[in-house]
Amino acid sequence: MKAPVDDRLAALRGSAKRRPYNARSLAALENNPRCTLRALLDASGSDKAAIAEHAGYPSPFGQSAFAFARGNAFEAMVKDNGCAELLRVLRETLKLTLPEVAYLDLNDVGGDGSNETRRDRTAEVLLQAAQGTGDGTLFDHPMLYLEVGGQEAFLEPDLVAFRIDGRFYIVEIKSFPIIDGQADPAQVRSATTQACAYVIALRALLEEAGIGPEAVSDTVVLVAPKDFTNRPTAAFVDARKQVSALTRQLARLERISDLVDLLPEGLTFDLDIDKDDKRPRRPAEELAEALEQVPATYRPDCLNHCEMAYYCRARARAEASLDVLGPAVREQLGGIDTVTMALGLARGQLTPTADQSDMAAALRHAARLRAELTGEVGGAA
Amino acid sequence: MSDPLDALEKSISTLRRAIRDASAAGDTERASELRAQLRRAERAWDALLDADEPAPAPPRPAPEAAPAARGAQLPAREHVHRALMLLGTPAAPKLIVGVHEAFFPGELSASKLSSLRRDEERSYRSSPGARPYYLPPALAHDLLTPVRALVTISTWTLEQRIIGPHSPRVDFLTGAIRIAEAVHTAAQSAGNGPSPEALRLLWRFAVNIPDAMPKSASGHESALDPEQVIEAARAELDVHADADRAVRAEASRRARKSLSDDQQLFGAPSQGVTYLRARA
Repeated sequence: MKAPVDDRLAALRGSAKRRPYNARSLAALENNPRCTLRALLDASGSDKAAIAEHAGYPSPFGQSAFAFARGNAFEAMVKDNGCAELLRVLRETLKLTLPEVAYLDLNDVGGDGSNETRRDRTAEVLLQAAQGTGDGTLFDHPMLYLEVGGQEAFLEPDLVAFRIDGRFYIVEIKSFPIIDGQADPAQVRSATTQACAYVIALRALLEEAGIGPEAVSDTVVLVAPKDFTNRPTAAFVDARKQVSALTRQLARLERISDLVDLLPEGLTFDLDIDKDDKRPRRPAEELAEALEQVPATYRPDCLNHCEMAYYCRARARAEASLDVLGPAVREQLGGIDTVTMALGLARGQLTPTADQSDMAAALRHAARLRAELTGEVGGAA
Repeated sequence: MSDPLDALEKSISTLRRAIRDASAAGDTERASELRAQLRRAERAWDALLDADEPAPAPPRPAPEAAPAARGAQLPAREHVHRALMLLGTPAAPKLIVGVHEAFFPGELSASKLSSLRRDEERSYRSSPGARPYYLPPALAHDLLTPVRALVTISTWTLEQRIIGPHSPRVDFLTGAIRIAEAVHTAAQSAGNGPSPEALRLLWRFAVNIPDAMPKSASGHESALDPEQVIEAARAELDVHADADRAVRAEASRRARKSLSDDQQLFGAPSQGVTYLRARA
């Protein structure tokens, strides 16, 4: 008989303080749902950055101080002077009418900045707006709340805008530029995935008051610098697919117990942090052994959003896994897991199984072509 | 406080009201005449105050020279006061610095402002009313708690110092009108005209007001027309003014009833939050 899931998750985390879910770790659910290691670390609330560092793969992760300052400065600029710049762009994109300017600051409640107070206040004013009794249009830093796998998660969108026809829009303010109507797809994607978590949390809040999900638009408003200037512009980003993907992943979180059941008894990622000098006392090798018992699914874009990425990449490389080469290569070579196997089949050193025969033929053909080409180049030189 | 100062303050506020009436009536000539009078009165007031101070600070003190000296604080206060008087609305430190740089000489930095806010309350509490004015924060309309980011002047009415949901926009538009007026006056005066900083400040306001920018496609910064900005800002202001005034009036009534004198200046304590909310 194994211990209940929560206890097992607590055991995985060990003595460290629980890290609550945030928009970022929720977004990771949608980014790489297959990864067991990340799922377990997030569900148990372990400190991934500290674990990765102790395992010998410190992540250059966490924003650079400059990027952070730049992001904050841009947001402050957009919201300066009664959200003057923001109102201009929202009037353009959301077609806000002239009277829709009411601004409510939810950064704190009368000097009280605690999550719970802000959550209650946010719920109060957003519900008033939804029921047509309040007069807010712009809600600055509301505090939303979502229960994720039995754990509470506080989520703080940059801004929620409410349009007179009764719809809420999540507004994300980001400091990467939109140049000629185009922005870096990876950045946009990570911004929208974050916004998805807000959409879901806001819908959950309204649902409690009996308001349907259509009250929250699944089109996210992205506010970012225009071209090479510092002036903001806004764009709609369709987040429908990501919202439904994340909703599905959240529902599946309940099944974390299935994952936990597969783990050997007594497994823990506890770092055994020293109370005094804040250094982990657990031997690094022991931690590495523990990590190795959990399957990880590495993908190159993990480097963008997961603290464990460098560890997983090293592990995937050591196993000569095709994961390192990214999903494009992986999909091409369906049914083959490692680089060694792919090369073996290509050189004819391995005998393909029945379902590998097609792929093996393709690989051998590719190898022949390559040999011809390199031979020719070699001959010409 | 001396009597001449009192008298001057009274005339300053009378002048201000007259200017507002004149500009509301569209009488720009009379308004600018009154404004010149107001500036004279304010200068006299400044001079008197300096004379009253035992250690008058030089107009441009070296910031690091004597941080401990009380006099060194004085100019920053006055700079802020002057910028706020021009705007006529609660303003964030950044905007205060912007207005100061656009229209007034001397140095004022945002970092000075943050220490200033703390000092204001301390000074008031140690001897209330010892200074002719204080620079308290604005008050939130619902909880009447201080709004950290906005600075006001204690001589303003409570209504002016309260921030309702529409107030940020109303104050933005009012500020735009005041800045446009100041730019206009500078352009009319015999001097060098408005400074580049002033034009840039006005531009930053104008781009975010519908119809405030010149129509021509080749519109350049210099083509900005202060009168057009004023007109556009007034047009939008008309839309919000009533809603905003109602909230401010209601909140200030509540504040007068439930808050003590010093709370009316520096805001209700935050522990009162739960009580106020339970009552609501």
